[in-house]
Amino acid sequence: MPGVLADFSNALAETVAALDKSTVRVEGRERLPATGIVWSADGAILTAHHVVEQDENIGVGLPDGQTASARLVGRDPTTDLALLQLSSAPAGTLAAARWASPDALRVGNVVLALGRPGHTVMATFGIISALGKPWRTPAGGQVDRYLQTDIVMYPGFSGGPLVSATGEVIGLNSSALLRGASVAIPGPTIKQVIESLQTHGRVRRGYLGIGAQPVRLPANLAQQLGQETGLLLVSVEPESPAEQGGLMLGDTIVSIAGQKVRGLDELMGTLGGEQVGQPTAVAIVRAGALAERMVTIGEHK
Amino acid sequence: MNLLQDLDADLAALAAKTQASLVEIHNGRRGHGAGTIWHAEGLIVTNAHVVDRGSVGVVLPDGRDLPARVLARDDECDLAALKIDATGLPAIELGDSRALRAGQWVMAMGHPWGVVGAATAGVVIGTGSAFPEGPGREAIAVSLHLRPGHSGGPLIDAEGRLVGINVMMQGPDVGLAIPVHVAKNFLRQSLSTS
Repeated sequence: MPGVLADFSNALAETVAALDKSTVRVEGRERLPATGIVWSADGAILTAHHVVEQDENIGVGLPDGQTASARLVGRDPTTDLALLQLSSAPAGTLAAARWASPDALRVGNVVLALGRPGHTVMATFGIISALGKPWRTPAGGQVDRYLQTDIVMYPGFSGGPLVSATGEVIGLNSSALLRGASVAIPGPTIKQVIESLQTHGRVRRGYLGIGAQPVRLPANLAQQLGQETGLLLVSVEPESPAEQGGLMLGDTIVSIAGQKVRGLDELMGTLGGEQVGQPTAVAIVRAGALAERMVTIGEHK
Repeated sequence: MNLLQDLDADLAALAAKTQASLVEIHNGRRGHGAGTIWHAEGLIVTNAHVVDRGSVGVVLPDGRDLPARVLARDDECDLAALKIDATGLPAIELGDSRALRAGQWVMAMGHPWGVVGAATAGVVIGTGSAFPEGPGREAIAVSLHLRPGHSGGPLIDAEGRLVGINVMMQGPDVGLAIPVHVAKNFLRQSLSTS
């Protein structure tokens, strides 16, 4: 009784098969291998940071059954992304995955997760469970949107593609981003991180050299600034950008470059890689009065 | 009808059709497994671990509770063949487990936690014997949850053909089934020599 269910089933299997040349095995750690996505046919491979424990002699299992050697181009632990480069990519063995913007996605859309921990491509299926605002990973990485699915992450699926009904890749799956939830890093964040890894070999983050905790502002200042809290400096490292810019223990930061700083999340949000080396206005409360200092943001190593 | 309603109708029809070839298997009062009607003249296939000990009974979808004889069992591949005294049974249509593709739709049926004739659906994750953290013998990994009572029941494809025999879970979220070609070999070898 071939019907719409059989058509549906065939479409799923064909979508998986069509990504065969874009899904590789990544052997970069002692325990089980994981998965990588072919970023370009010349052998740039995108994978998850946490599955690559070495920088050289990383094995990449190709769709034709061969294993090639790759080196690490760079990694960003905060978004759990890593970029590898094959020393040589035999012509015709790899195809760059096609990427789709996640803008058109809706909760309930069907998705496939692909992996190649063994020799063949494996797949699980589910729907998009949640789409949300930009978020920060527990490791501090800024991600353009929250993208959660109900797919099962089979062992070794980390670093593999999350695929839409059109057969395009919309994100990279990692089981290490959040415990207990299948969360993917969407394409726009991946593109940004890869550009940074290709240019600098790393993702640059701004650095101030402070320890801080949120505190409530006095009522008159809270009203004047339109914010309830700021960040009280509980430590300032010697020779740090903060000290050189004139920040002191006991100052309360209320904004950086005009962006309100009400908590640690917002502080991190103002310290993107593009701020590195830039003289930046830091608004503080000192001895009960508002003040401003120019601080040249350093680079987080 | 829209596409989802068409899908719905197909799913319900498949479940109903498969229920006709699904039996309950019990060991006296203990345990509760599933079995699949392989042949109209009373041949039932199930897991070896479902018919562990004692006398075995088979409850047909029409409610008849018949004693069964264990014709053959293989603990290695966890399969058993039973014979009941009945004819004209609705045997399940056999599919080709060697042609399974990652991502294709499948449905498992059985009696999870004693709920008779229950269906659960998912996709094929992968097949073979070499995948990481697998059981080391030939299996179909599926993204659906098998529970006590699913064992020995059918895993079918989108056209209702038997592709596997439900066997167990691998970790919290991955079901495993014995490919139907393994079951065919088991029957051919054990029934020709017994």
